Amino acid sequence: MAGVVLFPSNVFATQFHASAEGIITHQMGHLFFLFSMVVLIFTVTDKGLNVQKGWRLIQYSAFLFVLWNLDAVTAHFFDNQIHAVKIETISIWKMKIITNDDSPFLAWFYYILKLDHLLCVPAMLLLYKGLSNLVENQRQIRLQKER
Amino acid sequence: MPTSFIPILAVDVLGSVAMVVIALLSLYKARTLREMDPDNAVFLYLLWISVGFMIFAVSRSLGHILRQFLILSSNSDAWNAISAYTGSVNTVSFMLVGLITLFFNQSWNINEKIHSGRKKLEDTHIKLMDLNQTLEQKVIERTERLTSSEHKCRRIFEQSLDTIIVTDSKFTVLETNAAGIALTGYSRDDMIIKKMTINRFFAYPSEWERISEKIDSKEYILNEEAEFLKPDNESLLVLITGGVDYGAFGCAKSYHFIIKNVSEKRQMERQIAQADKLAALGELSAGVAHEINNPLGIILGYTQLLLKMEPDHKDDLKIIEKHVQNCKTVVSDLLSFSRKGSSEMGIVDINKVVDGVIKFLSNYPDFRNIEMTLNPHTGDRLNILGNEQELSQVIVNLVINACHAVEGKGKIDIATQKTGQNKILIMVKDDGKGIEKKNLSKIFDPFFTTKPVGQGTGLGLSVGYGIIKRHQGDISVKSSEGKGSVFTITLPSYRKENLSTTRGQL
Repeated sequence: MAGVVLFPSNVFATQFHASAEGIITHQMGHLFFLFSMVVLIFTVTDKGLNVQKGWRLIQYSAFLFVLWNLDAVTAHFFDNQIHAVKIETISIWKMKIITNDDSPFLAWFYYILKLDHLLCVPAMLLLYKGLSNLVENQRQIRLQKER
Repeated sequence: MPTSFIPILAVDVLGSVAMVVIALLSLYKARTLREMDPDNAVFLYLLWISVGFMIFAVSRSLGHILRQFLILSSNSDAWNAISAYTGSVNTVSFMLVGLITLFFNQSWNINEKIHSGRKKLEDTHIKLMDLNQTLEQKVIERTERLTSSEHKCRRIFEQSLDTIIVTDSKFTVLETNAAGIALTGYSRDDMIIKKMTINRFFAYPSEWERISEKIDSKEYILNEEAEFLKPDNESLLVLITGGVDYGAFGCAKSYHFIIKNVSEKRQMERQIAQADKLAALGELSAGVAHEINNPLGIILGYTQLLLKMEPDHKDDLKIIEKHVQNCKTVVSDLLSFSRKGSSEMGIVDINKVVDGVIKFLSNYPDFRNIEMTLNPHTGDRLNILGNEQELSQVIVNLVINACHAVEGKGKIDIATQKTGQNKILIMVKDDGKGIEKKNLSKIFDPFFTTKPVGQGTGLGLSVGYGIIKRHQGDISVKSSEGKGSVFTITLPSYRKENLSTTRGQL
């Protein structure tokens, strides 16, 4: 105890963060987003809101976001986490997908995963349609009340 | 593996743009929704989530577009330098979306509570409105009933022909009706403003003491008879019913009295009793007179025969004759009283008869100090169907009685009147000593007299009563001790159409 006091050494007060933390945090963020979408789907059903078309469309939107998150998590897993896949852009027309073991299946799978907008754009569109439907419903209710 | 970059590039760039556009449209819709129902917590939640998606879409799309742009423009180093930031912003944005999404349950619960509270409030409001309407309706109904009841009670109170008097606990008059004013003779101001007490109406304080003791002990009185004295000294016989009211809704204790004037009824009852009594006496007198009349005739006949045959006993026989004649007069009077006699009827002018009587009596010495006045009815003649002599006899009798009442000095007023009901009134009024109350019911009885023995037979008024009754009339008296008396004869006026019926009755 006295030695520690009499002969002090350097202490690192702040923890060192490796660069891998970023991708892990990002992946956790995706999983959290996914989880919240699953919760939303079940909550809407649980509250009986799915009888309304608007809420059903929001449920579908949440489902597509779930898929999108799975897509994103998988893609990030391959390229950022285990570095199994790498893309090299050759020109605006050409690109090269480099896999660790030159697996064409993984390359094609990754290629498909990279088309994730095909999931999130429809998801966003369904959210919009759901909200539009709810607006319309609300308008009808208001008209009925006014009558 | 070399492959085409275009699909990925196109989907990435166009998808990013589409994401931003759709996210903005969604935000717009969510805002519209929120504006349509600002109190809806779920719509607020949808607005938040739309904001989250908008941030997510914008950050992600800008990152993707920037990446494609920098890589294709051979600025990969620049992309590598900023990719960590765009990635972090992207991470934060979808974590934000996830976080907001998880608040859905709470938002829902809050909304449910708001809805439930609002529903309860609306239900309560409806109930309150309903209650309010019911209450208003009930108030209207009760007010109508109360007004109707008040109106009814007021009408009963005001229109009652019986006197109703309300007093406070000290018997001070609080309210009375029109009949009360008429009966007591006091004005409303006298009674209410001057705070008159009910005992003031009583002629005798002892009667009020008796009644007040009774009402104090029993809290009610029923048909108690008492005499009221009006301000003009007219007395009334009344029946009083009353009770105590301890009041409701903070009202003070009060007494309610209902007073009936029974003077006329009692007067009528007395007259009927008197008439019945006199009728019975008349029957008796007629029987006695008839039985005595014949022996008296025989005694008188033989006495007159002896007067002719025995001149030596003339004086004694004259005395017998005189007393028999007196007895005959008494018997004749009795027969007159009992209406058994017969007489000739004709049209008689009452004013003439009265005038004749006054002229006849004014010569007598007893009337020297008496001021006799005549107030005859003027206008049409006061004709009746009757016997002039008999009527003269009745009036003479009344005037002589008045002369005795004033004890030789005073005023005698004789008046005649005609009423609207074809009745003729003859009134003999004196200011003499009056008749004692106890004797009023006996004055028409045969042989009743207050004069000393030997001065009167007590048949004058009873004979007069019989004569007037035979003329379909009536005779009555009003007297107050020390002030004088008024004898009133009421006779039916003569009309041609009733001549035959009257003759038949006579």
